[in-house]
Amino acid sequence: MTPIRSASIEVAVVASALVASFAVAGLVLAVIGADPIEAFRILVYGAFGYPEAIGYTLYYATSYMFAGLAVWVALKAGIFNIGGEGQAYLGGLGAALVCLFFDGLPPILLLPLAMMSAALFGAGWAAIPGWLQARRQTHVVVTTIMFNFIAGALMTYLLNNWLLAPGGGSPETRPFAPQATMPALHDILALVGINIAHSPANLSLLVALIAVACTWTFMFRTVWGYETRVVGANPHAARYAGIDPGAVIVRTMLISGALVGLVAVNEVMGVHKRLILDFPAGAGFVGIAVALMAGESAIGLVLASLLFAALAQGSLDLVIDMPMINREIVRLIQGVLILFCGALPSLFRKPVLRLLAPRREIAAPAGAS
Amino acid sequence: MRRLLSSVLMLVVLALAPAATAADFIPAIVFDMGGKFDKSFNQMAYEGAEAWRKENGITYREFEVTSPVQREQALRQLARRGAAVVVAIGFSQGPAVATVAKEFPAIKFTVIDAIVDAPNVQSVVMREHEGSFLVGMLAAMASKTGRVGFVGGMDIPLIRKFAAGYRQGALYANPKIEVLENMTGTTPEAWNDPTRGAELAKAQFGRGVDVIYAAAGGTGLGVYQAAKDAGKLAIGVDSNQNYVQPGTMLTSMVKRIDKVVAEAFSSARNGTWQPGTRDLGLAADAVGWALDEYNRPLITPAMEAAVQQATGDIVSGRITVSETCGNSACTH
Amino acid sequence: METATQILLLIAAAIRLATPLLLAALAGIYAERSGVIDLSLEGKMLAGAFAGAALASVSGNVWVGALAAMATGILLSLLHGFATVTHRGNQVVAGMAINIAMAGLIPTVAQAIFALGGQTPQLGPAQRFLGLVLPFADGDGLVAQTYARLLSGHNALTWLAFLAVPATGWLLYRTGWGLRLRAVGENPYAVDTAGLPVARLRYQALVVNGALAGLAGAYLSMAANAGFSRDMTAGKGYLAIAALIFGRWAPVPTMLACLLFAFADAVQAQLQTVRILPSQFVGALPYILTVLVLALVGKGGGMPKALGIPYIKERGV
Repeated sequence: MTPIRSASIEVAVVASALVASFAVAGLVLAVIGADPIEAFRILVYGAFGYPEAIGYTLYYATSYMFAGLAVWVALKAGIFNIGGEGQAYLGGLGAALVCLFFDGLPPILLLPLAMMSAALFGAGWAAIPGWLQARRQTHVVVTTIMFNFIAGALMTYLLNNWLLAPGGGSPETRPFAPQATMPALHDILALVGINIAHSPANLSLLVALIAVACTWTFMFRTVWGYETRVVGANPHAARYAGIDPGAVIVRTMLISGALVGLVAVNEVMGVHKRLILDFPAGAGFVGIAVALMAGESAIGLVLASLLFAALAQGSLDLVIDMPMINREIVRLIQGVLILFCGALPSLFRKPVLRLLAPRREIAAPAGAS
Repeated sequence: MRRLLSSVLMLVVLALAPAATAADFIPAIVFDMGGKFDKSFNQMAYEGAEAWRKENGITYREFEVTSPVQREQALRQLARRGAAVVVAIGFSQGPAVATVAKEFPAIKFTVIDAIVDAPNVQSVVMREHEGSFLVGMLAAMASKTGRVGFVGGMDIPLIRKFAAGYRQGALYANPKIEVLENMTGTTPEAWNDPTRGAELAKAQFGRGVDVIYAAAGGTGLGVYQAAKDAGKLAIGVDSNQNYVQPGTMLTSMVKRIDKVVAEAFSSARNGTWQPGTRDLGLAADAVGWALDEYNRPLITPAMEAAVQQATGDIVSGRITVSETCGNSACTH
Repeated sequence: METATQILLLIAAAIRLATPLLLAALAGIYAERSGVIDLSLEGKMLAGAFAGAALASVSGNVWVGALAAMATGILLSLLHGFATVTHRGNQVVAGMAINIAMAGLIPTVAQAIFALGGQTPQLGPAQRFLGLVLPFADGDGLVAQTYARLLSGHNALTWLAFLAVPATGWLLYRTGWGLRLRAVGENPYAVDTAGLPVARLRYQALVVNGALAGLAGAYLSMAANAGFSRDMTAGKGYLAIAALIFGRWAPVPTMLACLLFAFADAVQAQLQTVRILPSQFVGALPYILTVLVLALVGKGGGMPKALGIPYIKERGV
C-alpha cells in the first residue's frame, strides 16, 4: 500500500470515528431535549466561528500540545507518566519565582529564563519518579499519582504562606510585571500592523509548535531518540545493544517533565499573569488522551490537541446559549469522543477497508507491474 | 409536544438574545469551579437566583466555570450578550471581574467575596467570622466534653476566616474549651469527599470531641452523617442545613449569598444598584445562625440568650471578631 | 489504656478507609491479571455508588441497591471489554473515556431522577450497610477492647472485601480458571494455541471486575455515607490502581498496600489536630510515605507480561 493510500485510510477511519461520536453525543442531546444540529453548529461556531474564539481554541491547544508531548515522549520509552498535572503545577512555581523576583531583567533575558525555570521545575518533579523507576523499579504510575497529590499540597502551602500577595485574601501571587509575561498574539501582530481580536493565545503557541517539531526530530532523527524507542520496544534487547535502560528512563522523564512544565508558560505567564491555585485545571490529564490519539504522527498530535481545545472552547458558547446543556453534558460528550476516537477506531477500520478494498485490488497489480 | 414547544421557545429566545436592549432585562450569574450544586456558596447563589426568577418571572443567564481561564471569558461573553448585571461568585473571580469590567464600562458587575475597585463594580464581602463566632459559642455551650471540632475543606484564607471566628466564639463562651481542627485536602476533590469528611469526624469523636462545625462543601455531608451515626452534634454552613440530619444538627452558620444575589438583580432592575464595597456582617443580617423546628430542642433558652447578647455586642462593636488567628486573637 | 484505645481507633479507621480501595483494587487485579489495564475504576465506582444508592432508595432494600451497583459496574466493564477486547482499542484511553463520561453522565441522571442537585435522597437504616456488632463486644480489658473495636462494628461490605482477598487468591492460584486467566495475561498466544478462548476469558475477568468495582462504589454511598453525592469517589479509583501495582497484582500484598494507604491517612487526620506542622504537609504524609516505602522495598515486577497489549490472533500466525 502506498503511504498516501494508508494515510487516506487513517483519515477515513478517524473521520468516521468522529462522525460516530458526534452521532452518539447527538442522541444524548436529543434525549435531554436539545437540538443536536443546532448544538453542533454552536459548538463549531464557538470554537472557530469568530476571531476571538479561534484565539481561545489556540490557547487551549497550546497547553494540550505541551501536555500531550510529555505523555507521548514517555510512552515511547515504555513509561506511562500520568504525573503531568503535578509537573505542570511545579512548572508554574518555577516560572513564577523568576517572574516575581527577577522582573528587573530585560524581557529578552527574563522570558527565556522563566521558561527554562518552568521546564527545569517540571523536569525536577518528574525526575524523582523517573529515578525511582530506573533504579528501584518502583512503578512510575504509582509514584506519579502520589507526586500529583504532593505537588498539590506543596503548592497550596506555598501559595497560602509564602507567595500570597501582601494584603491579599486569596491564595495567589501578586500580578507579574508586564515585561514578565508572555506577549499575546494580538499584541505581537499589532506591531506589524495586523489587528486581530484579543484572546489569551500568546507566544507560547509558537513555543509549543517548535517543541512538537523538536520532539519528533529528537525521537526519530537522533541517537538518544533511537535509544528511547529501543528501550520502549524491548528493554532486554536494549541491554544487549549496550543501552542502559535506566539512564534512558531518567532522561526521558526529564524531557517529559520539562515539556509539561512549559504548560505553565502558557497558563501562568501567558494568561493568568500570576500564580494561582490549581491552574493546570486538568491539562495534564487531557495530555494523556492527546498522546494516545496522536499515534506516530506529529500532525496527529497537533490535531488531537486542536480537537480537545475546540471542545473546551466551543462548549462555553454552548452552555451559555443552550440552557439545558450544562458542563456535565459537555464532559459526557468529551468521554464519548475519547472512547470512539481514541479507543474504538478499529470499529471503523474494517468497514473503511471494505469500502476502499475494490480499488485496492485494482490498484495492486498495476503497482506491481 | 412540550419538548417541541420548549425548543421553539428556545429558538425565539436565541433569536432575541443578540438584539437584547435595555428593555429586556436579563441578569446573569457566573458560578465558580465548585458549580451551582456545591452544597456551599455557589449553591446559595443559585438558590437566590432561582427564587428571584420565580418571584419576578424573569429568566437569567448562568455559567459554571470549569477552568480558571473561563472566568474572564464567561464574564465577557455574558457582558457582550447585553446582561443588565453580571454577578460573579467567589474570591477567585476578582481579577477576572477587574479586567472585564474595564472593557465594558456600561455593564454592572457584582462580585461576591472579593474586592474590585472600579466605577461599575459592586464588591460584596461577608463577615463569615462573625457568624462563625456565634456558632462557636453554641458549640462550646452544647459540648459536654469541653472539646469541639472544626473540619475545613482546604487550608486557604477564606476557610481560615471560618475557623478563626469559630475558635474565638468557642473560647468566648468557655475559656477552657479545646478546639480541634482538620483540613480535608489540597486538591479540588477536597470539597467533594464525604467519605473523608466522615472519617475526619470519627477521628475527632475518638478524641473526645462532641460538636463539629464543617466548612467543606459536599465533604460536610459526611461529617453530618457521621455525627448522626455516632449520636454527636454537627453544625452546618452557608445555607441552613439543619434539615439534613434533624436532631443532631446543632445549628447552621448561614451566609445569605442568596439575598445578596437577589438584591443585586433587583437593584439593577429598579435603578438603585450602587458601585463600591459592601462589607456585610451580623449588623446587615448577612451572616448568622439558624434556629428552626429541626434544632429547637437542642438550643436551651440560656444558649439563645447568650448568643443574642453576643450578637448585640458584635453589632455595637463591644466585641470585635478577628478574621485570623494570628497575634493571640484566638486565646483568652 | 488511653494510648491503646487511640491505636485501636486508628486501626479501625484504617480498616474502614481501606475497604473501598480494597474492593476496587481487587477488581483491578482480575482485569489486569487477564491482560486488560483498568484505568476506569474511578468511573465504575462512581456509577456503582449512584446506582446502589438510587435503587436502595427507590426499593427500600439494601441488597437491591448492592445488586444494582454490581450490575452497573458489570455493564461498564462490558463496554470496556467491547472497546478493548472485541475491538482491540487502547485500554488506557477506553478507561479514561469511561471515567470522563461517567463524571458527566451520573450527575445528569441523578439530577433528572431526583432533582436534588445531583444527590440521591438520604438513605434510611434499612437501605444502608450498617455496622454489625458481634456478640460479647462489650467487655473491658485490652483483649476485649481489641475484639470490640477491630472485629466488631464493621459492615457486611467490609467483611466481604477482606474475605474476597483469600477468595481471590484461591481463585487465581488454585483453580483451573485462575491458571487460564493468569496465562491469558502472561501469554495469550500460548493460551490460544492450547485452544482456549482468549476473548471469553478476558470478558469473564471483566465481569468479576465490574461487580467488585460497583460494590466499591456502593460502599461509599451505602455504608460510609447515607446517599450519593457528586464526585464522591474523589480519586479513590486511582489510588486503588496505585495499591494494586504496589501489591504487584497479588491479592495479599495489595490488601497490605490498601491498609498502608488507609493507615497513613488515618494517622494524618489525627496528626493534623495537634497543629505542629502545616496542615498541607501532614495531609501529604500518606503520599510521601507511600513513595518512601516503595523506594525502600524497591524491585517492582509481577506485572502481567501481556498487560495493555490487545490480543490479535493474526499476529501469532
